[in-house]
Amino acid sequence: MAAVTEYISRNSPIHRLNPLTKMIWALSILGMGLLFNDYRYLLALLASVLLVAAAAGVLRSLLPAAAGLTVLALVLLLVQALFYGQGQVLFYLVPISNRLAVTGPGLLSGLAMAARMMALVLSFLIFLATTRTRDIVLTLVEKLRVPYDYAFMFTTALRFIPAFLSEVRQISEAQQARAYAVEGWNPVKKIKAYAPVAVPLVLLSLNKADQLAMAMETRGYGGGRRTCLRESKMGTADYALSAFLVLLLAGSAAARLAGYGLM
Amino acid sequence: MQRKAQIKVDKLTYHYGTGPPVLKDISFEIEKGECIALIGQNGAGKTTLAKHFNGLHRPSSGKVYIDGTDTASMKVSELARKVGFVFQNPDHQIFHDTVAREVAFGLKNLRLSPREIEERTAAALEAVGLAEHRQTYPFNLSKGQRQRVALASVLAMRTEIIVLDEPTTGQDFRESVQIMEIVRKLNENGHTIIFITHDMSLVARYARRVLVLCRGEILADGDVRSVFAAPEILKKTYLRPPQITNLAQRLGRHSIPPGVLGVRELYELLVKMRREKIGCCN
Repeated sequence: MAAVTEYISRNSPIHRLNPLTKMIWALSILGMGLLFNDYRYLLALLASVLLVAAAAGVLRSLLPAAAGLTVLALVLLLVQALFYGQGQVLFYLVPISNRLAVTGPGLLSGLAMAARMMALVLSFLIFLATTRTRDIVLTLVEKLRVPYDYAFMFTTALRFIPAFLSEVRQISEAQQARAYAVEGWNPVKKIKAYAPVAVPLVLLSLNKADQLAMAMETRGYGGGRRTCLRESKMGTADYALSAFLVLLLAGSAAARLAGYGLM
Repeated sequence: MQRKAQIKVDKLTYHYGTGPPVLKDISFEIEKGECIALIGQNGAGKTTLAKHFNGLHRPSSGKVYIDGTDTASMKVSELARKVGFVFQNPDHQIFHDTVAREVAFGLKNLRLSPREIEERTAAALEAVGLAEHRQTYPFNLSKGQRQRVALASVLAMRTEIIVLDEPTTGQDFRESVQIMEIVRKLNENGHTIIFITHDMSLVARYARRVLVLCRGEILADGDVRSVFAAPEILKKTYLRPPQITNLAQRLGRHSIPPGVLGVRELYELLVKMRREKIGCCN
């Protein structure tokens, strides 16, 4: 499985935007997603996020992640629909017995939750897929004045995910090649059965962290004031788009206060 | 004479996810008892191909048969009874607190009797020269020794086919020879051996047949001598025959054959030529 937090190299207008602009975009999606709870607004928001992904040419690469999120979204939908408890009963999940009622408003509220979750997560994944890690660091440090240590920690954590997944795959292949198979449904047995994968994984990860620390020190990490080779530049498009997004978010807040987008 | 192939690869194509094909329409057969080197530049598809032998990869199209059975219908843990696979990095598999237990892991998975496990573990550790390290904590061993622990853990399973993915990477010359001598003995005892390597001198010394992969296709398949005798083909995948073969080819405009594999062999050829006073040397 490909890691979903990786940069995907394309030459799209979205890729060329300044990381700061994309960060503002992801944050305004977050803001708008939390402001409204009408399913129509949130579905529109989700559609706009998918459009951005298509414009960036990363929609196909994000499909596996989106499919995974859909499962989660369905769970959200089901839970909401079951426990909302108001409004007209549409049908019962256990037929005849009048148990586990699913109501119309419950279903719609579940739909809203699911759309909100997907829009927020996907916007963040699109930000990561269209922005090089080094550019994120540069923007965090240069533009947002985040201390370099924190920016570095953030990006190391991101970098670690794909490396971690690849280790998990290699380890489980090595154990399967020695006729290892997780069998049965006994949870205690299942947990114990993960030792052949978990133990090498922990040892390798510790080792990797140790080596990373050494490599950083030998290259003078923490040796004084840092300077940057490249500059993070905001173009006209970046300023225009950022301004538009901020206005949009402010407008949304105003609309919400006026009572729009609520259910 | 018609013999049934132990491994049969039939029009195998493989790609990761939706990516471009890594293996393109590959077909070949391997018979019982062969010793084959799989060579090619990085990214040629060597490991990807090898992982089809024990079901870690499934063909995107085409078939892989082991002893006539389609691997598509078998689990990796079942195939592990027939095909042993030694990975490049021993640290991807070692997780026990003693060497002996690590070696016994695969045997327990095969549900062998405790006596059998004990006997096979001892024999495998003996074979890789780690008998005195039975009770050692594996991470106190050197990387080369851990590589041999991993090798022992696969040897102990006594599979008919053994695949080794770069078994000598990161080993010094003595350790490499030690490992390859173990491999040679296994082959003499009837195991089919397939090893991946970048070291052409090891190929010349230990393999009998060579499969050359280049960008997912088989560039050459034949006995070591004839493959090394055609350096222009190897060049396509950025490989060079061993230095001694190279030297022989440069000397050999007249009567030295192009497929010389060892120093001794070339020396004897030259001595013979000198005696007979032919060619350039007198």
